[in-house]
This record gives sequence, C-alpha cells and structure tokens, in this order.
Amino acid sequence: MIGRRGLLAGAGTAISFRAMAQAGTAGKTLTYGQSTAVNALDPSHGSFAGYPAGYEAALCLYDRILDFDAAMNIVPGIAEHWAIADDLLSATLTIRPGVKFHDGTDCDVAAVKFNLDRLIDKQRTTTNRPLWDPLGSIETPDAHTVVIRLKSPFSQLPNSLAHGSAALVSPAAVAQFGETGIAQHPVGAGPFKLAGFTPGQELVVEAFDGYWGGKPAADRIAFRYIPEAATRVSALRVGSVDVIDNVSVPLVGPLKADDNTRIIAVPGLRPIGCVINLTREPLKDLRVRQALNLAVPVATIAEKLFLGYARAPDSPLAFNTQGYHSVSALVHDPAKAKALLAEAGYGSGGKTLSLVFNVSVGLFPNDVAVGEIVANALGQAGVTAQINKVEGGAYWDTLRQDAANLKWDIAIFGFNPSNASGLYHLNSLFRSNADDAAKPDVWNVGRYRNPHVDALLDKANTAPNRAQQDVALAEAQGIVWQDAPYIWLQINETITAVRKSVTGVEVWPIVFTNTRRATV
Amino acid sequence: MLRLIAARLGLIPVTVLGVVTLLFVIFKTIPGDEATLMAGATATQAEIDVTRHQLGLDRPVLAQYVTRIAGLARGDLGYSSTFRGNPLPRIMERVPATLLLTACAIGLTILAGIPAGVAAAALHNRWPDLAVSSAVVVLLAIPNFWLGLVLIAVFSVRLHWLPSFGFDSAISVVMPAVALAARLIALIARLTRGLVIEELRRPYVRTALAKGLSDTRVLWKHVLRNVMVPTITAIGLEAGYLLGGSVVVERLFAWPGIGDLLLNAIAVRDYTVVQGITVLFVVGFLVINLLVDILAARVNPRLRHA
Repeated sequence: MIGRRGLLAGAGTAISFRAMAQAGTAGKTLTYGQSTAVNALDPSHGSFAGYPAGYEAALCLYDRILDFDAAMNIVPGIAEHWAIADDLLSATLTIRPGVKFHDGTDCDVAAVKFNLDRLIDKQRTTTNRPLWDPLGSIETPDAHTVVIRLKSPFSQLPNSLAHGSAALVSPAAVAQFGETGIAQHPVGAGPFKLAGFTPGQELVVEAFDGYWGGKPAADRIAFRYIPEAATRVSALRVGSVDVIDNVSVPLVGPLKADDNTRIIAVPGLRPIGCVINLTREPLKDLRVRQALNLAVPVATIAEKLFLGYARAPDSPLAFNTQGYHSVSALVHDPAKAKALLAEAGYGSGGKTLSLVFNVSVGLFPNDVAVGEIVANALGQAGVTAQINKVEGGAYWDTLRQDAANLKWDIAIFGFNPSNASGLYHLNSLFRSNADDAAKPDVWNVGRYRNPHVDALLDKANTAPNRAQQDVALAEAQGIVWQDAPYIWLQINETITAVRKSVTGVEVWPIVFTNTRRATV
Repeated sequence: MLRLIAARLGLIPVTVLGVVTLLFVIFKTIPGDEATLMAGATATQAEIDVTRHQLGLDRPVLAQYVTRIAGLARGDLGYSSTFRGNPLPRIMERVPATLLLTACAIGLTILAGIPAGVAAAALHNRWPDLAVSSAVVVLLAIPNFWLGLVLIAVFSVRLHWLPSFGFDSAISVVMPAVALAARLIALIARLTRGLVIEELRRPYVRTALAKGLSDTRVLWKHVLRNVMVPTITAIGLEAGYLLGGSVVVERLFAWPGIGDLLLNAIAVRDYTVVQGITVLFVVGFLVINLLVDILAARVNPRLRHA
C-alpha cells in the first residue's frame, strides 16, 4: 500500500529530477524525442517497455553478451569470443576481463550465468521464449569461460545472445532492488548509467566513466516522450531535441527542406502483407491466392502511398534479414488475375468471391489506407473484400483464435524478427501448427501447412554452419513464395531524423534508433 | 450548508464504487486482452498463457472483481502491465501537471471570456459586439488539436518565442492552456453576453440608473453579480469537459499529465491505470461540482438555504 507520504515522495521525485536535469547540464547532452515512452527497463518480467523506446534506452544502459552492428552482423560484446560445437548442442564463450557494472561490481562469468539463468526461467522471463527455450544449463568451468548446454541443436544462439533482451543486469542490483524493482532501477554494464527516470515521461542517462570500451562521445542522453508526430518534427526543427524517431512519410518533406535537419531511412525487417485464412475452402485453391497477389498494385502502394519509403518484397523475408534469398519480383497483372479466378470458377459466369478483410487501425504503417487500396484492387478483379476495421488493442486477439473462431478471410499482418534471423521469422510464421484447430503455436495464424517447408526448417535449425542453414532457408523461401499464403504488400523503411550537427546515430533494421555511439 | 457538504462528500465513495463496477464490466466485455498486448507482437501462445496467469486473468471473473475492489480500498490498484507494479505513484506524480493546465485554462476563461461577454453586451450591436460574436463562432469551430498545431507552428517554429512541447518552465503552459481554453472562452463569452443583455432590460437596472448611478457602476456592481451565478455554474460544469479535452491537448504538447497516460493505458488494456485515472476524474468532477455549488451560494445568498 502506498500512503500519503509515498504519494508526496513520488511527486517530489518528479520535481527534483526535473530541476536536476536542468541544473546539471555541464557537458554535451543529446536529447532524443521518442514516439513511445520508456516505462520499464528489466529484460525479464515482460522485458523492456514500451516498444521500441524501452529497448532503445536499454541499448545505452546495458551491454549484452554479443552485440549487433548497424547492419545486424553479430559482433563481440561482453563475450570476446564465442564458438558453437559442431553438433549445435553447446557453446563456449570467453568473457572479457575487468568489466564492471555501474554499481562497481564485476560483470564476470558468475554475472553472465546469473543473467542467463534468469532468462531461461520461464516464470521470470515470460517473453521472447523462442530465444531462450532451447537453452538447457549454464556452466562456468573457469574464471573466463561460460559454457551453454543446449537442449536441442540451436543455430540461432548467437542471435539470442545479441538480442535486445539479452541485457546483462547487475546481480547485486537485483538483490538490492528486488526481482521486479530493477525495472525502475536499471544497473547494467553499458556505456551510460542511470541519472534520472520518470517512467512514462523522461529518462536521463549519463556517461559511465568505468566503461570497458572507453567513455562514450555524449556526456548525457535524455530520452523524452513526445507522442505526437507533428510535435516531434517541430521540436527537432526548433532544436529542442537532437533526434526523433518514427517520422511519418508526409512530414519528411518539411524536414528535408530544413537546412538544419537530416533524414536517416533504413529498410525494416518486417514485410507487411495480408495473411490468408487457409481453412476457407475457396482460399485453399492456389490459383485463387495467386490471383489475389496479381490483383494488387504493390508498386503503387510503395511509391504513391509511402512516397518511395517502402518497397515490394521479393521473398517471404525482408531484404536485410539473415538468410534472405531473392525469389521473384511481384507482378501486378489484373487481366491474369481475372483469368486465374475464372479458371477457379469465380468471376464472369461463375460465383462471386467475397472476403472478410480485417484491417488494424494504427498497428502497421498507414494500415487503413493500405487496406483500402487492397480492397479496391481486389474489387477491380471481381473479388468483394469487405473491410472490417479493428482497433489496435483488440487486433492481435482477432488474429490468434482457434480455427472455429476465425472471423476473417484475409487480415493485414507483419512480423518483425527481433533477432534479425530469417530462421526465426520463417519458424514463427510458416512452421505447421501442432493442431490447426486450436490457437496457433506462434504466428502461423493462417494455418499454412507444408511438410516440405517443415523439413527444410528442421534442416536449417540443425545445420552446422550459416552457409548450410542459408541453403535450406533459401529453398524454404522459394516454396513459401510460390504457395502464396499471404497477399504480399510492402516493406517499410524506418525513418529517423537528426539535427545536422549530430553524428553516429544508427537506425537498425529491427526498428531501433540506437544513440549509444552518437556525438552531439 | 455543512450538512449538505457532508451528504455530498458521503456520496463520493458510492459513486466511485458504481463507476468502478461499470468500468470492470466494460473491460471484461470489450475485445482485446492485456496479456496478449503485454507479451508483444512476436509472442507465442505459451508466453501469452503464462502472462495471463501471472496477471491473474485466468481466475474467475468474480474473484478478479473482488480483488480489484479490495485493492482499491487499500490504495493498491494492482499490477500494471505498463509499469510492472502498482501504478498509483506514476499516476499521482502526473496529477499536478494536469491540475495546473486545467487551472490555467479556467483562469484564462475567467479573465478573457467574462470581460469579452460583458463588453459585447454593454456595446450591443456595435463593433465590439460584432468582433466578440465573430471570434466566438471561430473559436467554437476550431478543434483544439488543430489550434494547438497552429500555435506550435507560429510561436515555436517561426517566432521561437515558446517551447514546442513538454513542461520545463512556467512559459511551457501558455500554448497548451490557450489551446485547451479556446472553446470554453468562446462559450463563456457567449453565455455572459446573453445573460448581461437580458439583465440590462430588467427594471432594477432602470431604477439604479434613475437613482443616478453611473453606467459602469450598474454594470459591474449590480448586473455582473446577478450574472455570476449561472456563469460560475457553467464554468464548473465545463471544467469536466476540460478534463476530457486535456487528453487531446496533453498528447499534442507532450504535457506530462494524466490524459496521455489514460490514452496509452486504454490502448494496451492496462486496467489498473484506467481504473486509477477514472476514479480520479470522477472524484475530481464531484469535488468541482461541490465547490461550484458552495461558490454559487456565496455569490447568491438565496441559494444558501436551498
């Protein structure tokens, strides 16, 4: 229970923090206006929130066992070297010596084991389970070595260890603040340490003198929550913030015209499409699914709606995903679409194909407009698509239903593989469900089922190296692409904008704007 | 009077219980699940099930309801999926900002709306009246969201006079307060104008003027006093609207109040936060109404025994 004293103390913290943030401004402060708020900074218990703001702040506060560079290549982190056994059943990590947490305690093999055990524990780490479930036990044979034993062959282990949620938390801080208190009192081994935090509003971090990689370029980073897109752009143009994320396409123009600002746009890893409900009789016909794809003007969506800040995919995976393989370009051919539909018994002379089309409001870029273009294009091919707009908070549950309760025939959807692995992406979307009648195991909500793809994914999961894994993934992408379980639409670019004086801001394809190496 | 105040205060817990019950029913009825949203867009079904269990969403509905009410009585709103704990401190630390914004908006309304209305009435059908009446129409037609955007474009981006967002210094409140108050200023100016025109036709005004009192004295001393009761009541009722309007304005200006917190909580179905803020709004509305009644009684002695 929180008494009156607690409430007053809470209000007092907010005020004194703001005073402190203003008073202690010696040195260079980078201010980042985020479209989402930082609420919680614990990698466990639901992980960093909100998304992506919490993850972006965590990139500055925490170091991870491995890391990504801006192109999503895996690079050393707290582990200087890593090696996976040929049978993919164990991995050996060499831990960097002399690394300290912000509280002065050692970030050593014991701390790495503590954190991995915490991530493996299903009760404490309830999210990102596919990343951690394959891990069995952690051993620390000597002061520099950590051995991870795996329950089953798991080639994505390095991706898990570099994933945003694999942040190393100080075990002493967990003991001090409690298992859930760490969310508000983050203590990591990253280049920046906590200076002030008002969850949901502002987070200030300052350079950590004891960082193993040397002091970062900025003395301080202030993460400030600015939910409204137009307000973020104004704040950047005025100069009250140095970086903003989630620039909406219509606002790119004014920023480009402004001599003081610069746009950074990077293609994302999330292909957007309409998932097709394969439990419906007409949609089981491949010709119908091909026709739906041929009917949609994907180039128009990318160029006219997103003004070139999007591209049509040519594979089930986005261009920068690990293991991506180009299959074939999408073609817009309404005449061929009509012909295929006629062949399947629909259109002129036959029955009319009517589809219920679920469209989310605000979950995906411009989702309602995209939905309207798709519905209109399908209409021109003789298919009636009745749009059913669903508010963001309710949308996921309309997708994740048991087969009997699926109320849609096609539904807009996109999956963001947060560890950059194409294998994770394909496993999540296209591996057969254990039981197609029940709720989907992961995100195969359309009930796609192809034993050949399952076998290739198994092969990729157990491939001893990336080259062999990529061969299996390339074949799987080809099959999925030809099976057309989606109406494929577009891959959007993540658009961030900075003041021209700012350098070193990275935009990662997994939607994160990373400021840890930024210079004001 | 004291008995009236006591009775009205006594009604607050009853109203709160009713509202919270209604809210609980609504939340159980609308589509969308807190656990699904907390588990995130890449979650497996197993993850969602564990999260549901940890949030207690798999318990019988009645048990969940009893826990909520019992917790509320102790000041424990429950486990917030947004803040990973009891969100009460997070809500309370935002209350001062919303109160300040609302108070400034009401202050602006009194300082601008009432004089404008009185001036328009006193100079009925002459140019000040036309100016005020036209301004009223314009301000009523402009959505506060759009007005806010225009204010930012002019006073921040172009002129660099005012900060474009947040609450870092006293002048930060100017634009949000103007955007929030605009509609209310117009309403009150129109109301005051009508009331004063009506009042000026009454016999006591003629008598007072015949007695030799000056125009200004009659207007500001006698007429205004009679007009104040309905005006104060209207401002008080509209203060409730201000709480709603502040949701939009707070979001636009990244104002650290409770409005934006409420919007986000609804989006992720964070019941604990929505319940906490709703209770605050309800109590705030009831208290404002009570204050308005007390104030009206002060201004008009006839109401004291009603």
